[in-house]
Amino acid sequence: MKDKRIIIKVDNLTKRFSSGVAVDGISFEVQRGEMLGLLGPNGAGKTTTLRIIAGYLAATDGSVKIDGLDVLERSHDVRKKIGYLPEHVPLYPEMRVDEYLQFRARLKDLSRRRLRARLDEVKSLCGLHKVAGRIIGRLSRGYHQRIGLADALINEPELLILDEPTIGLDPNQIRTIRELVKTLGQKHTVVLSTHYLSEAEMLCERVLILNHGRIVASDSPSVLTGLLRNKNIIVAEIGGPHAEVSAALRGLPGVTGVMAGPCAGAENNSAGEWNCYTLECGMDADPRGDIFALAARHGWTLRELKMEPRKLEDAFAEITGHVEMDLK
Amino acid sequence: MKNLLLLLRRQFLAYFRAPLGYAVIIVFLVISGFSFCRLLSQSVTEQIQVGDLLFGSAYFWLMFLVTIALITMPLFAEERHSGTIETLLTAPVTDLQVVLAKFAAAFAFIIVMLLPTLAYTAIIYMFHADAGQFSFRPVITGYFIVLLIGAFYTAFGLLMSSLTASMVVSAILCFIGMSMTFLAENLQYALRNAWLERMLAQISSIQHIIDFSHGILDSQAVVFYLSGTILFLYLAVKSLESRLWR
Repeated sequence: MKDKRIIIKVDNLTKRFSSGVAVDGISFEVQRGEMLGLLGPNGAGKTTTLRIIAGYLAATDGSVKIDGLDVLERSHDVRKKIGYLPEHVPLYPEMRVDEYLQFRARLKDLSRRRLRARLDEVKSLCGLHKVAGRIIGRLSRGYHQRIGLADALINEPELLILDEPTIGLDPNQIRTIRELVKTLGQKHTVVLSTHYLSEAEMLCERVLILNHGRIVASDSPSVLTGLLRNKNIIVAEIGGPHAEVSAALRGLPGVTGVMAGPCAGAENNSAGEWNCYTLECGMDADPRGDIFALAARHGWTLRELKMEPRKLEDAFAEITGHVEMDLK
Repeated sequence: MKNLLLLLRRQFLAYFRAPLGYAVIIVFLVISGFSFCRLLSQSVTEQIQVGDLLFGSAYFWLMFLVTIALITMPLFAEERHSGTIETLLTAPVTDLQVVLAKFAAAFAFIIVMLLPTLAYTAIIYMFHADAGQFSFRPVITGYFIVLLIGAFYTAFGLLMSSLTASMVVSAILCFIGMSMTFLAENLQYALRNAWLERMLAQISSIQHIIDFSHGILDSQAVVFYLSGTILFLYLAVKSLESRLWR
């Protein structure tokens, strides 16, 4: 039974090369319209995973389905649904920007009639009008990235797969590309890989952290950031007047930050609305007992109370390094 | 078909947007032209047949093989090296379309390169015209074998290019393979085995060139080169597909 909301279904995906295992039995799903980030150090299996989704490589074991179609068996149909930007943005340096985009658009079965209008659209979106007649090889890395994105977008695919879209760019270019990717996320489902936590935090609603070919964590970026900053993260779902609950939680000893969001299936209860609170606290603080007591005292309903397991620091010395850097 | 033409066009134009294409054509024409001039001046004193004037020069063939090694080396090796192979093979095209388009682009380049050599035929024709004894047959069969051998080695070079990400390695492998079949006949003296001798004589290009440039259409050779071309193209498709199971 096909679930209409799920666009990518990765099931027990494994890829072995002669040099070793690159992806080791990972499974995840991506919802339509979601922006998912794959985060991990070099060699974690991000690129291999994306290549398999894009149909460039085949899995040793397991399967990937896009819109219910197997990426290998229905390769041709699947390719039309995907816009893929490989790492380091390979382009033909001898071609002109317009010529290249036209070539790619025709290759992706865009009709001649649609071509001109669509070309104009992606060029404005990616800021390429100024360089349309220039030879690709003479343009900067930042422009290459935009041309690559324009190519990925040209046939209006539902799904964009971007492998390290900001790698090797200067800070200005990085900002432009991130803005652009963010805009694209409003219309497309996006799966991107990065090894900057800050980038994932800025762009993605959900992040998978990969290491040695396995998913070591899957959560929203804010939770992951807390875990990586060596903080305890407590998640509590409380039904009660939002402002009061929020203030009371902030007042607990050891708590350094509180974020609130709606929980899944947020229906009203007798005490007010349900909210999901994410608490950041110091490494040795564990306010779970206090939270329970607080709720009991005020008559709020406590539906879930858990401490996120901390399993990332060892595996992610590298990412943590980036976090420290980014925070400055 | 649309995809095939698009890919062909891009590959073909790429030859002429880099110095390589022009350099190859110029060097080929200069060297084969000089060797033609020399043969032509020899033909004043001794009788040389039309086919030998046009296709009997070792320089012509040496340059022809070098050209093929050079124009087939970028076909896949460059795409692999720069990574464009990934955008190419994730576009809605089939591996077969990609292989055929690249083959056709390289083959078209060879035809363009050979076109100016038609002038040699014209020159010989002007010399012979009064005598009324000019026969076009060896010219036609001669060009036919040039194209057959061209297709065969282009397919071989394309296969070599699909095996590596290094253009230099591709060109060297291609050239070694070509020389071995081209000069296969010479190996028989070293081998002294009746069966091998017969086989090597069959695949040696030199005997084919001599036959065809004297107007003899050897159907066995035609079948050999065409089936070889198809085999190499098939293997190249398999080589591309190997990314999926390696």
